Amino acid sequence: MKKSILIAITLFTVVSNAQYNNITIPEALYGTTFNLNIHESIRQIKTGNQTVTGSINNETFWGPTLFINKGAAVSFNVTNNLNEPTTLHWHGMHLPAVMDGGPHQIIPSGTVWQPYWTMNNNASTYWFHPHLHETTEEQITKGVGGLMIVNDPIESALPLPRTYGTDDIPIIMTSRNFDALNQFSVGRAYGDYMLTNGTMNGQIILPKQVVRLRILNAELERGYNLGFSDGRTFYVITNDGGLVNAPIAVTRLPVHVGERYEILVNLSNDTVGTSIDLKAYNSGQSNSFPGGEPGTAGQFGSLLNNTTFNVLHINVGATTTNPITAIPTTLTTNTYLTASDATVTRSVAITGGQNGGAVPFTFDNTIFNIATINKTLAANTTEKWTIANTPNAVFGHSFHIHDVQFKILTRSTGAVGAYESGWKDTFFISRNESVVFVARFADYSDATHPFMYHCHFSQHEDAGMMGQFVVSGPLSIAENSSTTSFSLYPNPTNDKLFIKLKDTATEIYYVTITTMQGRVAMMLPQPQWQNGIDISSLASGVYLLQMMDKETKSTTTRKFIKN
Amino acid sequence: MKRIGCFASLLIFATAIISFSFIAPKNKEKEIKNFSLKGVDNKVVSLSDYKDAKGFIIVFTCNKCPMAKLYTDRLNKINDKFKKQHVYVLAINSMDTLAYAEESFKLMQKKAKTDKLTVPYLQDKKQKVAKQFNATHTPQAFIIWKNNENKFNIKYQGAIDDNASEPEKAEHHYLIDSVDELLNKKNVTVAKSESFGCKIYYRGEKNKMN
Repeated sequence: MKKSILIAITLFTVVSNAQYNNITIPEALYGTTFNLNIHESIRQIKTGNQTVTGSINNETFWGPTLFINKGAAVSFNVTNNLNEPTTLHWHGMHLPAVMDGGPHQIIPSGTVWQPYWTMNNNASTYWFHPHLHETTEEQITKGVGGLMIVNDPIESALPLPRTYGTDDIPIIMTSRNFDALNQFSVGRAYGDYMLTNGTMNGQIILPKQVVRLRILNAELERGYNLGFSDGRTFYVITNDGGLVNAPIAVTRLPVHVGERYEILVNLSNDTVGTSIDLKAYNSGQSNSFPGGEPGTAGQFGSLLNNTTFNVLHINVGATTTNPITAIPTTLTTNTYLTASDATVTRSVAITGGQNGGAVPFTFDNTIFNIATINKTLAANTTEKWTIANTPNAVFGHSFHIHDVQFKILTRSTGAVGAYESGWKDTFFISRNESVVFVARFADYSDATHPFMYHCHFSQHEDAGMMGQFVVSGPLSIAENSSTTSFSLYPNPTNDKLFIKLKDTATEIYYVTITTMQGRVAMMLPQPQWQNGIDISSLASGVYLLQMMDKETKSTTTRKFIKN
Repeated sequence: MKRIGCFASLLIFATAIISFSFIAPKNKEKEIKNFSLKGVDNKVVSLSDYKDAKGFIIVFTCNKCPMAKLYTDRLNKINDKFKKQHVYVLAINSMDTLAYAEESFKLMQKKAKTDKLTVPYLQDKKQKVAKQFNATHTPQAFIIWKNNENKFNIKYQGAIDDNASEPEKAEHHYLIDSVDELLNKKNVTVAKSESFGCKIYYRGEKNKMN
């Protein structure tokens, strides 16, 4: 037995040095209407049996990368073909709460959800992922998610690498655990095996020039202290929500769960045929750095914990035509919010987590309750929030708030890092630290439908480390309750269904179409119903259309027949 | 990559030893009561129909799951291998047809036809049979074996083998090996393995949506 282990280890040492796998580059989708089909899939990740994964469209782990222009009216047909309900949250986006894809916008299995909004965000790298309460860990583990890359005129005018898959590369970092038959196992906070874009021991050929890496930490909990094996300087050009003013030179970059950074790396002086490694320098990290824990097993242990490990093996290849060869000196001019812009001050205390997590982490000692709105904000207001992970803090967290991009003002433990000085929607807060940020809650008031703020560690959020806020607008005086009576025509219909409101002042908040058996077929938040609802994708049969009135939130149902 | 394979083998080996030395002898062999389900040919099938059965290979499967799809051909082959020895394969779909339109009886019939399924493909519409077995995934295999009192007990549960898309590369044929052992009147060495595939959701059970 001992001998065979020795042989196994020797074999590994020989093979592992040579064995890299080309990372998957997710398919790029362009346009303004995106069809996303979430489904179960199988992928050869390890040697031997394949792994059941969750993916979108043609991928076998993760989903396509969506390219969207700022200002575009974008719409989505999100079909849930998983065997279970899910949601799809647009992380980092400023949009109406009812389109946000948080825990309230549950898409049952087999249902099409049709959110839409006008892209307000600045050029940067965003992402989408499941956000169903108590199920996030499991569905993220499966690999459901994807990147959204927003372009705008400012970014497009800059001399930056932007040939997707060639000099502009998405890097989605996760780690996973496997059972004896190579299936993802759920329950431990950190994976034993690093996956880059779903690929183990990932490698890529990058041209001898300036390249751009769009880095996302899509982990359950682990942080990555990134750097290159030769210690070279690289340049941060975006934070979560847009370009920074000028490239920020770093040799190490901590990237925590949910955060995105675009970096430029200059390979112009490398020799074609040589290689360097992008690594997580997590060895020697403190016990409150997620993944800094020393153990290799158990709930908070992993083979990768407190070690330095490879994220991407980069082989330098030939220069492309029209390469970018220099790091730009300036990028944009941001007008950041300051403390004095804030007219409202709030604080959120991180609580719980005692007894090795037996007591769940919470905000303000209040466990998440989907029926409770924790904070009501006024639209058109700038607020200063203090997140306090003190006193008696148990661990660090990745704090994320929906709806806005904010500016970090202070960290109680020292200066705010230059690398995180731009627009952010997620940040790491270490033990015994307070972080203050300022954000503007401009519009999209909806007194009913909330946004979330939460820890992005999936186990923490699933266990209730989440709160909800609504952005309320000027109070509207309830008019004499409008009749939400309506009729549908033509009925029966083949492709389009029109709504005729009895009271034309009625505003439609939500339309849900279900089969007579009660299975939800389509979910249409604030549908653009005036031009008819496209029901051509439905199978022939009798359906119920339920309409929710925006003001009264009361629902009325009508029957229609699809030919 | 090599090391992973070796470790996995070691792990499987270790699991095998553990199950053999600790689990197998203590394992309470759950009794499975007779059940009747409608097959895609509209005929009702019961365990008691098979008067000469020494045992059954019950495989919970479904129409949609990509993992389950990979095993259709193997179900036919396993049935061909064992039916002469009076061990029969029954494929059961216990998915909630209300939640999953693709699991309808009509589409089961279509799948059976397209996939040339030669084993009975039965619908467990009320999920009662799946509950009796505590089935969790598709595909998930169970061997039930007739004892001295003419009752059927679970002798094996878990995966069919350990390579879904490349059957020729499978290193462990848990299901076949267990049936062989039973036919040779031996104890089953590995009485339980991890089953993998898509989850079976039971209607009306803990609903995470609320």
